[in-house]
Amino acid sequence: MQDEIEMNEPAEVIAAFRRGKKYNCWPVRFVFKNREVEVKEVGLAYPIRKNGALHHIFDITDGQADYRLELNTARLVWYVTREADHYEAT
Amino acid sequence: MKPRDLPLNTDLSLIMHIDLNSCFATTEQQARPLLRDRPVAVVNRRTFHTAIITASYEAKARGVKMGMKVNEALKLVPELIVVETDPQKYHFVYKKLLGIMRSYSPNVVMKSIDEGVIDFSDTHRTINTSNLWAIGIEIKQRLKGEVGNYMKCNIGIAPNRFLAKTAAGMNKPDGLTQIDHNNLYDQFTKLKLTDLTGIARRNEAKLHAVGIKTPLDFLNTDEMTLSRLVFKGKPGRDWYRRLRGYEVDAAPTKMGIVGRQYVLESKGLSREEVLRRLHFLCQSTAEKLRFKNKQARGVVVFASPRRFSKGWGVRYLAKEPFCSTEEIYEKVKTLFASAPAAAEIRIIGVTCYHLSDLNKRQPHLWDIPVGLNESLNSTIDAINYKYGSHSIQVADTLGLEKIMKQKIPFGSTRYFELI
Repeated sequence: MQDEIEMNEPAEVIAAFRRGKKYNCWPVRFVFKNREVEVKEVGLAYPIRKNGALHHIFDITDGQADYRLELNTARLVWYVTREADHYEAT
Repeated sequence: MKPRDLPLNTDLSLIMHIDLNSCFATTEQQARPLLRDRPVAVVNRRTFHTAIITASYEAKARGVKMGMKVNEALKLVPELIVVETDPQKYHFVYKKLLGIMRSYSPNVVMKSIDEGVIDFSDTHRTINTSNLWAIGIEIKQRLKGEVGNYMKCNIGIAPNRFLAKTAAGMNKPDGLTQIDHNNLYDQFTKLKLTDLTGIARRNEAKLHAVGIKTPLDFLNTDEMTLSRLVFKGKPGRDWYRRLRGYEVDAAPTKMGIVGRQYVLESKGLSREEVLRRLHFLCQSTAEKLRFKNKQARGVVVFASPRRFSKGWGVRYLAKEPFCSTEEIYEKVKTLFASAPAAAEIRIIGVTCYHLSDLNKRQPHLWDIPVGLNESLNSTIDAINYKYGSHSIQVADTLGLEKIMKQKIPFGSTRYFELI
C-alpha cells in the first residue's frame, strides 16, 4: 500500500498570527530533519487533547507532500507527526 | 375523511436533512489537499483484508463501495489511496456541522456522524423567516467557510423527516433538493424502491409480492393493502402517512443495547488471551454504559469463526442492574466457560441489554459499602476523560489498548467523546 510515515520530529516553525482570518494562527514555513518546507495550504486545523494538554493540529501541504504539524500549547513546541507523499502513482 | 383518501400533506416544508457527502473521505481530502480529486478509501486498519468504511466520489465512480475489502477495491482501482480513520478530525467536523445546524434551531437531531435533521417548525415564524432553500444555500457556504472549501453536503427539504432524507439522497454530490406536494410524484419517478430509507431487500421483496415495483406504485397503494398485506398493522399505516409527507418519525430512538465486538488480531490465541480481550471489551462496554448514564441487567457474550456467521453466544439476565467493568466481566467469564475452543474463534463480542437509567442502586446486604463502586467508577471515568482513555484501566487488560483501538463504528456518534 501507500507510504505514510508517522513520526514525532521536532520542528522549527515560522507562524503567522492574524485575528479574524479562518485560522487565528497558522504555520508558514518550517524546518525539520534539515529540510525546509514552505506551507502552500492549510487543509484543516483543529484542537485535540493529548495527555491533558491542548494540542493544535495543522494538516498542511507544500504541494509535494502532505504533513501534519502539531503545536503543544503547554510546552509551546512544534512537532511534525506525519508525512505522506504517496501520490505519484496516478 | 377516510384514511385511504388521505391527500398529500400540503404543509410548508420545514424539515431539513443535511448529509455530508462521503464524510470521512471528503474530510481527508479537505485536510490533505493532495488527496483531492483522487480515489480515496478510508479504513479502520490499513490491511488488505479490512473493510472500506467510506470511499471518495472518485473511488465510488469506479465501483468502490462501502464494506468492500481493500484487496478487492485495489483490483478495481489500482491507484486507490487507502488512509486510516482519524476520529478526532471527524469529531471536529461533526462539531462544526452541529454548531452550524444549531445556530438555526434548537431542534437538531444528529442521525449519525455525517447526517442530521433540523426541524424548523417552531422557529420558522420568528427566527428563520427566510425560506429553507435560502437557508440551505447559506449552510453550504458556511460549511465551506468554517471547515474548508472542499467540504460538500447534500441537503433535503420536505414536510417530514422521511421525504427530507429521501431528498438529501438525490442530486449527489453537493445537492439541494426539495420534495413537497407539488413535485412528489415527479421526484418519485426518479427513484427505485431501495432508494427509500427503510426499504432494503427484504421489504422490497414484500412489496414486489403484492405488485408494488416502484416508489410511485408504493405511493398509490391504499392503506389497507399496506397495513394488512405488506407490513402488518401500524408499520403499514405509518408507511401510508410517511409517503404522503406526514410526520411519523419524530419520536427519538430508544437505546436498546450497548456493546462492542472485536476481530482477533491473530489466529492461535490461547483461551486466557481471548478472555483478556473479553475483559477489555467489558471495560469499553461499561464505559459506554456509564457515558450514556445507563445500567443494564442483561449481558450477551458471543464468539464466531468469521464476520456475519452465526457462531456461539449465550445470555444472562441478572436480578440487579450493573454498570461496572468487573460486574460485567464476572458474568462474561462464567458464560464463556461453555464457549468453543479458542482456536476456532475469530470474532468476540460483549453486549449489554435490558437498559435503564443509571440511578442509585439498592445496596446488597453483603456487598461493598454503599456508593463506593459508583464513586470509584465516576472518578475513573473523570480521570480518563481528562487525561485520555485508558489512563486508568484494569491491570489484566494493560497493553491491549494499543492493539484493540476504539475505531469509528459505521455511522454512530453515540460514543464519539470516548474515542
